[in-house]
Amino acid sequence: MGVPPARRTSGMWGKALLRLVFALALPAVLVALWWAASAGSTNVYWPPLRTVFGVFPDVWTGERLRGDVLPSVLRLAAGYTAAAVAGVALGTVIGSWRRVRALCEPVLEFLRAVPPPVLVPVIMLFAGIGDTMKIAVIASGCVWPVLLNTVEGVRAVDPVLAETARSYGITGVARLRDVVLRSASPQIFAGLRQALSIGIILMVISEMFAAGNGLGFTIVQFQRGFAIPDMWTGILLLGLLGFLLSVLFGLAERRVLGWYHGLRASGRRSP
Amino acid sequence: MLDVQGLHKVYEGSGRRTEAVRDLTFSVAAGELVCLVGPSGCGKTTLLKCVGGLLAPTAGEVRLAGRPVDGPPPGMAFVFQEYGRSLFPWMRVGQNVELPLKQKRLSRQRRRALVADALESVGLADAAGAYPWQLSGGMQQRVAIARALAYEPEVLLMDEPFAAVDAQTRAELEDLVRRLWRERGITILFVTHDIDEAVYLGERVLVLSASPTVVREQLKVDLPDQRDQLHTRVNPRFAELRTRVYEQVQAAKRGR
Ligand SMILES: Nc1ncnc2c1ncn2[C@@H]1O[C@H](COP(=O)(O)OP(=O)(O)OP(=O)(O)O)[C@@H](O)[C@H]1O
Ligand SMILES: [Mg+2]
Repeated sequence: MGVPPARRTSGMWGKALLRLVFALALPAVLVALWWAASAGSTNVYWPPLRTVFGVFPDVWTGERLRGDVLPSVLRLAAGYTAAAVAGVALGTVIGSWRRVRALCEPVLEFLRAVPPPVLVPVIMLFAGIGDTMKIAVIASGCVWPVLLNTVEGVRAVDPVLAETARSYGITGVARLRDVVLRSASPQIFAGLRQALSIGIILMVISEMFAAGNGLGFTIVQFQRGFAIPDMWTGILLLGLLGFLLSVLFGLAERRVLGWYHGLRASGRRSP
Repeated sequence: MLDVQGLHKVYEGSGRRTEAVRDLTFSVAAGELVCLVGPSGCGKTTLLKCVGGLLAPTAGEVRLAGRPVDGPPPGMAFVFQEYGRSLFPWMRVGQNVELPLKQKRLSRQRRRALVADALESVGLADAAGAYPWQLSGGMQQRVAIARALAYEPEVLLMDEPFAAVDAQTRAELEDLVRRLWRERGITILFVTHDIDEAVYLGERVLVLSASPTVVREQLKVDLPDQRDQLHTRVNPRFAELRTRVYEQVQAAKRGR
């Protein structure tokens, strides 16, 4: 029996469509509100949304995208990747040995408590005002959530699983790859997600301090030049960029943590 | 095959000192199926972990085929009490069974064959692509058994493997263990707190005392080799043996 295939696929499409409608409903309402509320605005700092939309294509030309958005995104990618690699590697080391953990914990707590933007002037002293500085700022802010979550995840490996691995002689690299990191991956991903939003913030901030290009730099330039609608388009673009990255992150997470969501949904952990 | 000599294990830590195993001496011949029964908390898991090289004994020695055990030996496989937690939830059933084989550096072809064969013999040939948490408790325990089988151990250690499954499944799994033991000639050390299970499965039953543990009694099970749930359990000899073991376990609980 069963539904004819044609209907089943149309049902699937229907569901996807419904999900899309749900995802876009609230943003659409908010944009509509903004549009309506700002429609008659004569305040220069708060131009009508129509004006902002109108200048958007003129501001974000292909050249700007290449000259300002791309460098920003590349620096974000470099800083974020460095933070992810360092955070997972250090976190694994710290989480695996109780001694190392006891030694590092107070320092980590302190460093984590320092707000990352404060580091910008300090890092500028060492790394100058070039790309290195910006990448270092992004990495130094992103590394903490990844590191601390990895430590927790690595510590929390189920002792039965650890013993199973040991009894089958799964040690060294295989243990790290197939047992420890996989087991910690839900926490690692939670850390990576936090790091992503921190990374975007730091990407902008580092460009506001000292830069010759980039999204944050451009927005500040518009603001200084009283090109207010242009500034607003930059903020919109930044929001869109954050949203896009978050969607991409969600896709990657779904792939890697499919088992985890299934396990939780099954609600049948251990006997 | 397996010799346990004067095994003594004391847990120390957090200001508490627990003598789990006082003095255990016994041996298991190659190809034998020995059941260990004892009251709950008497140190069965501790004993098995010492035998499997997962815990270092405080004193005494475990020898496998003459060689002292000082870490998990490659010829030994362990089936844990907490089966649900001993399968890797991020791997599919087939990968769970295959992982230890990768570590043994077997060729891909050989691994495939072993995995297929092991899953086939526990009746899970078509579950290779499922995740463990998609399976019932009894099926999960079968996967754990299949993983142990594929490892081709000389000695299989099983720690109350069926304590958490329903009676029906339990009977099936008991028959599975008997069948695999007969077919493959593996040496099996099977821990349980269920007296019927011990008598039904074992060639020999060791009754342990309450903690701190010693071997209280060794009993040869002279039931026919071919056992089945229906007839063996109503066999008068079965009843005698189980009464005997029962008395011993009761006495052990009273601590005499
Ligand atoms: N890691 C540990 N640290 C300290 N004491 C422990 C530890 N593991 C077990 N014990 C103690 O050792 C004794 C024996 O425990 P064990 O788990 O070996 O018993 P068991 O016979 O397997 O019990 P059960 O039938 O409930 O599985 C218990 O008193 C327990 O409290
Ligand atoms: Mg136990």
